[in-house]
Amino acid sequence: MSLRRSIFWLTAALLIGLGLSPLAEIFAQSLFVNGRLSLDLFSNMLSSSQTRHLLMTSLSLAGLVTFLSVMIGLPLSILLGKSDMPGRSWLITVFTLPLLIPPYVQAVAWFHLLGRQGLVARWVAGGDWKAGSNFLFSVGGCGWVMFTCYMPILMLLTIAFIRSVNPRLEEAALLTATWPRILSRITLPLILPGIILGALLIFLLDLGEFGVPLFLRINVFPVETFTQFSAYYDFGAAAAAAAPLALIALMAMFAEGLFLERKTVHVRIGPGDGPGIRIGLGKLGKWLAALMWFFAFAIVIMPLLALLSESAVIQAWRTAMTQGWDSVLRSMFFAAIAASLLSVLGFLTGYLIHVQGLGSWRLLDTLTILLFALPSTVIGIGMIGVWNHPFTNFVYASPIILILGYVIQYWVLPSRITLAALSRIPASMEEAAQVMGVSWIRRMAGIIVPLVRRDIIVAWLVCYIFCLRDTGISMLVYPPGTDPLTVRIFTLMANGEPAMIAALCVSLIILSLIPLGIIQWIGMRKGWA
Amino acid sequence: MTNTAILSKIAFILVLSWLSCFPVWAASSSAQSVVVYVSEDQVFAAPILQNFEKETGIRVKAVYDTEESKSTGVMNRLIAEKNNPQADVYWANEVVRAEVLKNKGISTAYISPNAAEIPAAFKDPEGYWTGFSARARVLLVKKGLKEKPGSISDYADPRWRARTVIANPVFGTTTDYMAALFLLWGNESAQTFMNRMKGNEVKISSSNGESADLVSSGEFDFSLVDSDDVVNRMKQGKAVEMVVPDQGKDGIGSLILPNAVVQIKNSPHPEQGRKLIDYLLSKETERKLAFAECAQIPLHPGVETPPEVPSLEKIKVMNVNYADIAKKMLEIQLFLKSWSGL
Repeated sequence: MSLRRSIFWLTAALLIGLGLSPLAEIFAQSLFVNGRLSLDLFSNMLSSSQTRHLLMTSLSLAGLVTFLSVMIGLPLSILLGKSDMPGRSWLITVFTLPLLIPPYVQAVAWFHLLGRQGLVARWVAGGDWKAGSNFLFSVGGCGWVMFTCYMPILMLLTIAFIRSVNPRLEEAALLTATWPRILSRITLPLILPGIILGALLIFLLDLGEFGVPLFLRINVFPVETFTQFSAYYDFGAAAAAAAPLALIALMAMFAEGLFLERKTVHVRIGPGDGPGIRIGLGKLGKWLAALMWFFAFAIVIMPLLALLSESAVIQAWRTAMTQGWDSVLRSMFFAAIAASLLSVLGFLTGYLIHVQGLGSWRLLDTLTILLFALPSTVIGIGMIGVWNHPFTNFVYASPIILILGYVIQYWVLPSRITLAALSRIPASMEEAAQVMGVSWIRRMAGIIVPLVRRDIIVAWLVCYIFCLRDTGISMLVYPPGTDPLTVRIFTLMANGEPAMIAALCVSLIILSLIPLGIIQWIGMRKGWA
Repeated sequence: MTNTAILSKIAFILVLSWLSCFPVWAASSSAQSVVVYVSEDQVFAAPILQNFEKETGIRVKAVYDTEESKSTGVMNRLIAEKNNPQADVYWANEVVRAEVLKNKGISTAYISPNAAEIPAAFKDPEGYWTGFSARARVLLVKKGLKEKPGSISDYADPRWRARTVIANPVFGTTTDYMAALFLLWGNESAQTFMNRMKGNEVKISSSNGESADLVSSGEFDFSLVDSDDVVNRMKQGKAVEMVVPDQGKDGIGSLILPNAVVQIKNSPHPEQGRKLIDYLLSKETERKLAFAECAQIPLHPGVETPPEVPSLEKIKVMNVNYADIAKKMLEIQLFLKSWSGL
């Protein structure tokens, strides 16, 4: 067997072995009722009218957030990624900030802002103000908070795809057409896979999110899974309750796959480098920039200000550092290791899927998305079942289990980023080297990796951020005495001093920004777009 | 660069990444350590465990619960780890959790010498759990009301229509309280009461803490909460007071909810685990928890307490068995779920 094929098999075996084993474990648990094989858990759950009701609420909420993200996020991305609007890079940074914070913390930040005794109530109404709270604790309010949490995904993906569009296509079109026509006929169709991928990720993340709805008391389907765990300690029923979510995730992916298959001819485009020609906005640019800053202020800066104002006490920072310093270091360390592993494994998986190197490439792609979409509680419990044995204690009782959990759940991120990056590289480049007798490993090291190195860095950064802000997996599997920062924030949240909690949340944001700043600095020195 | 060199570099990075995890693991696997899973809030439990470390030299490795998981995360973990336990001790913030562990065969019996003076009602007769430092279920009442509520039945009284709030009974200590009512009154009467309560437009909040905040801000007149919630709001200077409900001659009394400490069966460090259990069950720990922000009620007689913490001797205690509450809780969950609209 060739080296290339061996590495493909190894990657596939790791993904299937590590990813499927916790799912198989928890699925097996859902098939047994009182020690006997039974489908009762599934049939009870599916026949319940409450299940249908919760599912409808979940779908409506996820649909609302996805709709808002596309309707607002898409024009925003085009303005930020394609126009010459002043202050674009600053705005991109500001709009990305919510992605660095766990959604539950953001719900708390919005509560500090819009709650009855929040920042707005104190400024505007001088005390008790109910309108904000009434909005926040409604489906609309919940959708709004989740929109601010996840919209940056669509924005970043769309901007990344805009940068991948071959500028020569737009240059040629500009000879005879205006920008609205070019955008609708050329740019948008070419970046459609990115928009669809962003919308799909947002839909799946919303569908699986339970922290925000639970905090804002909106009954959605993941809360049912959670209730089975927390009120009944019934892992089988919880796994059965997660099945509809998994099914919907698979259906959404299948639809995406079908759509993109038809669009393949548009996706395979020439190499792009940067945004190409920018849309000149003229005087309108300043007004639009002001409008964008106002919007950023409303959806990002205000809740963060509420968090910052809560943390603006020196003593709170002292206490936060005393009580959380070890977790801060651990979080950076674990996230960096997991992100490095994910970058390697995700790159190999993305490449494997791109070249369809194994017959099972579609299964691997499906599995990564399924693992991303499933509630982390289900994966966490499954992992305990798989790894908590005396002979695997070296994994379960060490931070390796945490890193494995991150790798399993976030495998799709570097894989999909690599896939998008590879679609920009003409196959002829690698084929030419192959004809010259260059080995696969040297083709990878000499051609492919250098061409997508920036995408690998982006993948590392995205993985680092997702691992750093993870709560679901971390809460369930972190080894005793080695809690990461997100877990420490949550455990201190119960009766902890609010100013100290806010200070720890701000520390989490700073931790996320450190590698972002380093990469930005390196990028500026190297002149990256 | 040759193929071998490239592959070696990748392998080196991967191996280094994995190996870097081992020092943390190795350091934490020393024999002189004890692993404790804690459902009590970290801000209150951590100082006690740090004192234990200082006094005994035994390193404590803790897993704390989170507000987000409604303090059930470590319970789920203990259940999932049943066949290869990682924890030596479980510090539960409610006895019913300890009962669930006993019923699932996860805990083992240990009768601590330090528990001798703790009343029998707050200990498992076989030693599977021992209670200490309790909360009482009390009414948090807005100050300045013309008339005060004095009983849980006031929730269904039309005089208090739309003026009361209660934490969602599917989670936490409100579940325990409702299960106790079902035991005392019988299923039918308890269900009728809860339906009347709902008909009386009670607001359902997400937690006791939120209920306490809603009454403290003056939005509602009273709420059934834990005694530490009341003490906490009183310390914050809110215009509220504590009413211990149903204290009359025919009253059902107040439900007392102790913390409970449990030794885990087949745990890795049983001896250190027992030392920690002894420490938690000492009078000194109860004194510290009474003076801490959690303001918990000592179960040992004669332990010094601050003035705002009610003394166990002065409370008419609800006469219920915790094992029965744990069983009843599972039985009524479906009703509670549908009652609260979850």
